[in-house]
Amino acid sequence: MKKLIAGAVCALAACGLPTLAAAEEGGFTLTGPAKIAMLYISPRNDGGWTQAFDEARQRLEGDIGQKIQYVESVPETASAIKPTVERLIQRGANIIIGTAFGYSDTFKELADKYPEVAFLNGSGTTNSHNLESFYGRTYESQYLCGMAAGAASETGKLGFVAANPFGQVNWTVNAFAMGAQQMNPDATVTVIYTGAWNDPVKERAAATALIDQGADVIGQHVDSPTPQIVAQERGVYGTGHHRDMSEFAPEATVCSSVWVWDRFLAPELKKIMAGNWVPAENGALLSMEQGGTDVSCCGKGIDEEEKAKIMAAREALLNGEKLIYAGPISDRDGNVKAAEGEALSDGELWSMDWFVKGVITQQ
Amino acid sequence: MDMIASWIGNIPDFAVPFALAALGLIVIERSGVLALGAEGLMLVGALAGIGASLMTGGATVWALILAMCAAGVVSLLFALMVLVMRINQVIAGLALVFFCQGLTGLLGTLLDWTNKPVAGLHAVSLWPFSELPVVGKLFVQNPLVFVTPLIFVVVVLVLNRSVLGLRLRAVGENPQAADAAGIPVLGYRCAAIVAGSMLIGLAGAYISVLSTKMWIADMVGGRGWITVALVIFARWSPWKALAGAVLFGCIEALIPQMAASGIRLPQYFVFMTPYAVTLGVMIWVALASRDSSSQPGALGEPFIREERR
Repeated sequence: MKKLIAGAVCALAACGLPTLAAAEEGGFTLTGPAKIAMLYISPRNDGGWTQAFDEARQRLEGDIGQKIQYVESVPETASAIKPTVERLIQRGANIIIGTAFGYSDTFKELADKYPEVAFLNGSGTTNSHNLESFYGRTYESQYLCGMAAGAASETGKLGFVAANPFGQVNWTVNAFAMGAQQMNPDATVTVIYTGAWNDPVKERAAATALIDQGADVIGQHVDSPTPQIVAQERGVYGTGHHRDMSEFAPEATVCSSVWVWDRFLAPELKKIMAGNWVPAENGALLSMEQGGTDVSCCGKGIDEEEKAKIMAAREALLNGEKLIYAGPISDRDGNVKAAEGEALSDGELWSMDWFVKGVITQQ
Repeated sequence: MDMIASWIGNIPDFAVPFALAALGLIVIERSGVLALGAEGLMLVGALAGIGASLMTGGATVWALILAMCAAGVVSLLFALMVLVMRINQVIAGLALVFFCQGLTGLLGTLLDWTNKPVAGLHAVSLWPFSELPVVGKLFVQNPLVFVTPLIFVVVVLVLNRSVLGLRLRAVGENPQAADAAGIPVLGYRCAAIVAGSMLIGLAGAYISVLSTKMWIADMVGGRGWITVALVIFARWSPWKALAGAVLFGCIEALIPQMAASGIRLPQYFVFMTPYAVTLGVMIWVALASRDSSSQPGALGEPFIREERR
């Protein structure tokens, strides 16, 4: 739940005001040498979301050339976030990086209270003079995973275990289906929403049900590696989320959507250190080219030709030749969502509640 | 037809943890101790089971036994609080849950047991039942599924047909009378807490070791609380609790099956159904049976010897 409910709120922000490129002078400048600290929502070895941040931190330390302190398992309550951040500031930290949707409001408050400190928040929704939220366009990497899934599948029946039915999850589901249909035009994706981010019991039941109904590749947008483990047990393929899931299911995982936060944070931190930093007004929604997400591909079940096709699509996404949500695009009932030559706006992406052809859901 | 067969095959994975935890709770509460700590003890069992599996390299049966022992040991803390110190049982139960949530989260991280898959137990087929159409999959399960009804039979026999059980129930109904009859009240309550907690720990280990086959912090996900409600609407009867657990398992297992078959229903309505059914059954039970005597008479009351009442 934590990180990803961002959708609705951000959508409002994004729809309401057209982004004015605020490039005027008077950006944020640190008053002393930079000292960076991170707040993790869960333990650093959680196998997914937070571990990806921790791996990014280790790479950042080499890149920035300084140690980055971190605090683990900071829950999404103001009474836990505030004292943690204030103590870090007292100890001299002047760049604070959060990692949770639920930090949004408290970070806004703290950013106002400490105008000399820079704040960044992964999957947050609030922004200000010295606070920037950031998230990745996960549909790009999940599109590539969909391609891998479509290639690995023999029946063309794909399953997908997802958390909650709202924008950020729905956009990965649609992209996964569109990617799969690049490799197999008749591919269908049956989606099960578990209603929870991290409930391995429900995820196992969902993956089992999908395989029982004939799915031979299981995609996922939930936090635990359970769907991949089930896929491996049952001898089918799968695609992972957050991190390279072949760690858990080396035989099954053909592709994983992974976070590469350091690719965004390294240049962003350098901008902050250089001075006159201007946070993106509606937060930074990162394309693959800007950092954020990438894929770890490909496992067994993908041949060289298919891999080349997937990597070519990755290149096209990286250099901006390809937009996933560009028209013509229609939902599964035939309603046009974007006409030829148009593309969905960020606001429309955040509020996505429709599905493309070939997606089978309960709604 | 595939959907129904698959659905029936998945019911035990949901039902067994509820059933075992409910049975453990009944054992404890029949002795007059209100046990709200099931969620915490399940977490202890779940973590200990995974830890033992990882350390022993897949000796799953030992892992389950160790998980039961771990929950039993932690429950001694609860016994100390409610029996010796006579702390309010509601508060002690809640404190136990929070303590266990923190403890298991910490140990799971420190010992690096999080997200590490284990082997579990191989499924066993109960021939010839496993060859039956539709319901066949119900008889291809891990062995603990088939052992669970036997555990129920044994516990029910002990509770209802043995001197031991009679004394335990007497302690729960009227500890003063039991004390006058020479029954060691606190001894029986302590034994009930440890024995019941071992069953609850086994339920937790079922979830982690046999069902999901790994540990994630807080993975029990509120199932301990559901069990507390299950015991109340089963009116402390083991067989009714088993029926309730199976009912709950049926609903939980049906949800993903309907989605996998593409049956269209409002998503959030589906998420709500298990809890709506819980409420419905509780209301039905409350209306149908006014038999309040089935609640242990001294439930939640600390026992102080020779106290004037």
